Amino acid sequence: MDGYAGNMVSVDLSAGTVAITPTPLELKREYLGGRGFGIRLLTDLVDPQTEPLSEKNTVIFAAGPLTGTGIPLGSRYEVTTISPLTGTASSANSGGVFGWKMKKAGFDAVIVTGRAEKPVYLLLDNGKAELRDAAHLWGKTTGETTDAIVNELGDKTVRVSCIGPSGEKLVRFACIINEKARAAGRAGMGAVLGFKNLKAIAARGDLAIQAADEERLDLVKERVRTKIQENGIEKALHDYGTAVLVNIINENYVLPTRNFQTAYFPNAESISGETIAKTILKRPKGCYACIVQCGRVHEFDGEAGEGPEYEPDWAFGPDCGIDDLKAVVRANNICNEYGLDAISAPATIACLMEMAEKGYVDHPIRFGDAAGMLALVRQIATREGIGDELAEGSYRFAEKYGHPELSMSSKKQELPAYDPRGIQGYGLATATSVRGGDHVYGYMISPEVLGAPEKLDPFVTEGKAQWVKTFQDLTAAIDASGMCLFTSFALDAQDYADLIAATTGMPIDTTELLRIGERIWNLQKLFNIKRGFGRSDDTLPARLLSEPLQEGAPAGQVWRRDEMLDEYYALRGWDAEGTPAREKLRELGLA
Amino acid sequence: MSGDGAVTNGTESGITVTVKSFATFREVMETQLVLQLPGGATVQTLLAELTARYSGLGGMLFAAPGRLRDYVNILKNGRNVHFLAGLDTPLDDGDVIALFPPLAGG
Repeated sequence: MDGYAGNMVSVDLSAGTVAITPTPLELKREYLGGRGFGIRLLTDLVDPQTEPLSEKNTVIFAAGPLTGTGIPLGSRYEVTTISPLTGTASSANSGGVFGWKMKKAGFDAVIVTGRAEKPVYLLLDNGKAELRDAAHLWGKTTGETTDAIVNELGDKTVRVSCIGPSGEKLVRFACIINEKARAAGRAGMGAVLGFKNLKAIAARGDLAIQAADEERLDLVKERVRTKIQENGIEKALHDYGTAVLVNIINENYVLPTRNFQTAYFPNAESISGETIAKTILKRPKGCYACIVQCGRVHEFDGEAGEGPEYEPDWAFGPDCGIDDLKAVVRANNICNEYGLDAISAPATIACLMEMAEKGYVDHPIRFGDAAGMLALVRQIATREGIGDELAEGSYRFAEKYGHPELSMSSKKQELPAYDPRGIQGYGLATATSVRGGDHVYGYMISPEVLGAPEKLDPFVTEGKAQWVKTFQDLTAAIDASGMCLFTSFALDAQDYADLIAATTGMPIDTTELLRIGERIWNLQKLFNIKRGFGRSDDTLPARLLSEPLQEGAPAGQVWRRDEMLDEYYALRGWDAEGTPAREKLRELGLA
Repeated sequence: MSGDGAVTNGTESGITVTVKSFATFREVMETQLVLQLPGGATVQTLLAELTARYSGLGGMLFAAPGRLRDYVNILKNGRNVHFLAGLDTPLDDGDVIALFPPLAGG
């Protein structure tokens, strides 16, 4: 055994067939799993010119070798496809329990091609796979869909990953939700499933997942468990959830406010992790094998659900000028129920708010209008009224009304909750992200704001290109392994390499780990180049390069792209346009 | 400690600073307080005052005397003092000092 389930299933929705094949050794060795499997299979199976919302696009669900092995925080799976929002080869990562269940059902990956004539769902069941009718599930929320599948199978151990009405309506930033509240959130994965008429994947099974060297793995597990438990950062995640970031980002004057017009929100405390903990929090919650439990289960005024995580908390809050925590939480719950990305949806509303205030769009919404914001979320979720236009994402919306510069996005995907003007390396990481506006493909906030693994001056550009490259490559490898990225606050590359080596039996050291990550990054980049992306796309909204911040320590700062981009490309072995040189591709086994 | 003891803009005898605490620091101290400090006070002066006032805070802040725990962040008006003069960073009248224990999210 090697930590893998052993098989992959290819589903042709047009033909209504499934085919089960062994997971190739070379794929494991070169790409580990998760995002690595996703981008390799996408490259092998899909013409780069393929339209995202077309029969020929392919969606890959893949777990990693560490998923479901009992390693602390080894719970993740990844969904990869061509994004209908960005047009890039993109992946989105989710935790919860589904990834583990997919492997217990016998599968490392699910490869979905074609388009079903009528709604279907896929059942993975102890080594078998079958398509089932889902006409009765169409139109249902993610919670209703999950409950209906569990009930009809009569088995509470079933885990479901599904889309809600927003995916069915092809909202370009519709997401995929498992266990009702865990999201493969970004890049519009849900719309691709909606186009394909695939409502859900359900998994059940009790097949064994065994490591190559259980004895050695137990020793490494114990080491990483201790490091995570003794790490102060992980304790804060448990006590306050990810929204504990609200105050520290705000106090650094880099909390984007009112569509990035400013970067300090005076009422940030009202939506902070500390306030959540003492008001609406019912209990913390973790994913499979989690010993941190950063998830939040909330309950108030008859409203019950999970979250909010930091990003939607910020996006529905300060980015929309709203300090009403309950409204923020309700909006986040609508996103979970309807299957909407809870970053892009509110960031698109914030874009509308600025355009409406400036008179570019005739709409009554204004910053701070919580009731109006909630109405807009529902309209986007179902493409009603102006929601139909907003469902295209902030860039397409703002461009339609003549002001694309007011979309705070990169490669048409809305930026997360940090102002790059005061965090230079983070700006480079998100501008060069191969899936567009993003924070988890290379989390430079950690060294530049949080001080881990060491403190880097956020205002300085020197040396940041190397940090960004290393973070991006390491993150790609962590995502491929099936581990939660939050382990990286406590673990180092040696820990991941040891976990993977003990689990798979493959000779993985830190050099090889980073090489796998770099291979994944370059392959994703190559796919995007074939789709027409180049240097001019590796940037951020003009506002961030030309309008200085006005308050606090970063006052006067803009994001200084030109001081970092050439060095970043050079370190990657890419030419001035951002194209990997043949020598680099040979080095990575890609040429 | 740096600083020459000169009074900076504040009252004749000292300066006034606002201190904000976050996350687990709030388990041992107030969320916000205003302190009078002598002219020439530094971050070190402030932390000495706070650790004397609040039992348990010293252990949360320091790994050893004069050495902050990993990932503890102290901001002076939004700038991490690590990039100023560390614990020797001089304080000025009206400064806002934010104290953060190790934390993360994303």
